[in-house]
Amino acid sequence: MRHDPTFWLLARASGLTAYVMLTLSVLVGLVVKSRPFAALKPAAVTDLHRILAMLGLGALVGHAAALVLDSTVHVSIPGLFVPGLVSYRPVWTSFGVLAAELMVLVYASFSMRKRIGPKNWRRLHWATYAIFGAATVHGIAAGTDTTRPWAFALYVAAVASVAVAATWRFLVPPTRAVARRTAASSGARAARSRGEQPA
Amino acid sequence: MTTYRIEIDRSLCSGFGSCVEEVPGVFALDGDGLATLLVTGTDDEAVLDAAGSCPMGAITVFEAETGEEAS
Repeated sequence: MRHDPTFWLLARASGLTAYVMLTLSVLVGLVVKSRPFAALKPAAVTDLHRILAMLGLGALVGHAAALVLDSTVHVSIPGLFVPGLVSYRPVWTSFGVLAAELMVLVYASFSMRKRIGPKNWRRLHWATYAIFGAATVHGIAAGTDTTRPWAFALYVAAVASVAVAATWRFLVPPTRAVARRTAASSGARAARSRGEQPA
Repeated sequence: MTTYRIEIDRSLCSGFGSCVEEVPGVFALDGDGLATLLVTGTDDEAVLDAAGSCPMGAITVFEAETGEEAS
């Protein structure tokens, strides 16, 4: 029987879709945190962040199912969950397994945040950087479309946009608060030098 | 009279707890895991950061004197 490429095509398409959704969710998540656009309602941005992550997980389920059903590479059901069980590029497929498992964990932590506490929920979200890194390595090194210019461009754009947004998130928010504090304390100093009581 | 008056929209709050981290003396999470106020007003302008840090935009800070939204 002639080899049926349907599931192989689906596996590649769903893998790339999951990666794009993950990237968009990370970008929107960074926007929630650093608030660059005053016109955006925070609640709507937060909802979008969760919806994109959910769509990413949906694509991930499709990616896993298509890989099991496909006969181009041989992926067993345990191979989806245990790193190292896939004979095709075992190291790079393991990055995908770990990224997927962490992604499920971070997503699920949202509904568990009352039990684990908001602080731990926020700590767990740092794993997102590892997820994005592992997913990028997995996509580039295990994906068979990487050599195509459009796919390579997609990876470059994803990494560059997340790097810029993350840098901005770490640099921008404190400066606003610090600037206001500095202005307020110099105002208080000026008031004191005029012999007034600070408010 | 304090400088700032604070309001929490509890229908928006989903218990991220970022406000509690910013100003623990003003905000707390109650038994439902939602943000609640320990005081109604404060002079601490860190409440503006707390409002800014809320992922749901559930916190509004007003200038107590004018009643206008503080930013």
